[in-house]
Amino acid sequence: MKKFTREELKRYNGIDDPKIYIAYKGYVYDVTESFLWKGGRHQAIHHAGLDLTSEIRNAPHGEEFILKFPVVGILVD
Amino acid sequence: MAKVAREMVEKAGVNVDQLLELLIKNASAELTTYYYYTILRANLIGLEGEGIKEIAETARIEDRNHFEALVPRIYELGGKLPNCMKEFHDLSACPPARLPENPSNVMEILKVLVEAERCAVRGYTYICNLTAGKDHRTYDLSLAILNEEIEHESWFSEFLGEGPSGHFMRRGETSPFVSKFLK
Ligand code: HEM
Ligand SMILES: [Fe+2]
Ligand SMILES: [Fe+2]
Repeated sequence: MKKFTREELKRYNGIDDPKIYIAYKGYVYDVTESFLWKGGRHQAIHHAGLDLTSEIRNAPHGEEFILKFPVVGILVD
Repeated sequence: MAKVAREMVEKAGVNVDQLLELLIKNASAELTTYYYYTILRANLIGLEGEGIKEIAETARIEDRNHFEALVPRIYELGGKLPNCMKEFHDLSACPPARLPENPSNVMEILKVLVEAERCAVRGYTYICNLTAGKDHRTYDLSLAILNEEIEHESWFSEFLGEGPSGHFMRRGETSPFVSKFLK
């Protein structure tokens, strides 16, 4: 599986590349097709191209919404 | 814009620009839901669909009321609705409640309805959490809307066989919680 560093992931922020990715619990998810991640932003609060594992705590939903998107790689430090 | 009203919210530590964006996104979700529910309602026909039609209509009218109630707060805080309705549609806080591929499948329509309501419940819960004890007026408004969204969710979930909601349909007026913001 493709490996992404945090630096490489940044490119998929919805601006610098047509693909929109977010990292969650070590995996990189492709949310390009999501209506709710258009332009790399989610609910006026979150930005794509980042590891959002710890942000889910404040979200009004669980990880099931993330897990339904395709995994395109793993996050490495 | 209500200058001091905004200042008070800022002073309480709320990021008002972010809050405004959320309010506009949720206003969009309400108005677009009103539109999509019109189509869903029109397709709730036949022996199964007819019984749900009136409830879908109540939820539809209340969502339009939610839009109407949010707009003044957006302007008070110094925000505005986008000039372009296409843009407004696309920034909705919830995905479009589109008619399912097989419109004669009432269960599929119900799933679209319940998912739209659940998205709204999540969104207003978040805004309540964000504003509680800080932005009293937005909190009061969001809580009023949340009360109605929870009832909408209950009505539809019951039809999906998720057990009794404990609620009865509206008797008389719509928007028992939000109506004070519409006067
Ligand atoms: C903290 C603020 C957040 C808010 C207010 C928020 C709000 C929402 C709402 C209202 C939905 C729609 C739920 C529904 O359809 O019932 C949603 C979906 C989603 N959220 Fe969040 N969320 C937040 C944080 C996050 C975080 C941190 C992530 C990623 C780690 C995330 C990832 C997603 C995904 C992937 C979806 C599904 C999108 C789709 O189905 O197209 N959210 N979120
Ligand atoms: Fe609503
Ligand atoms: Fe609703």
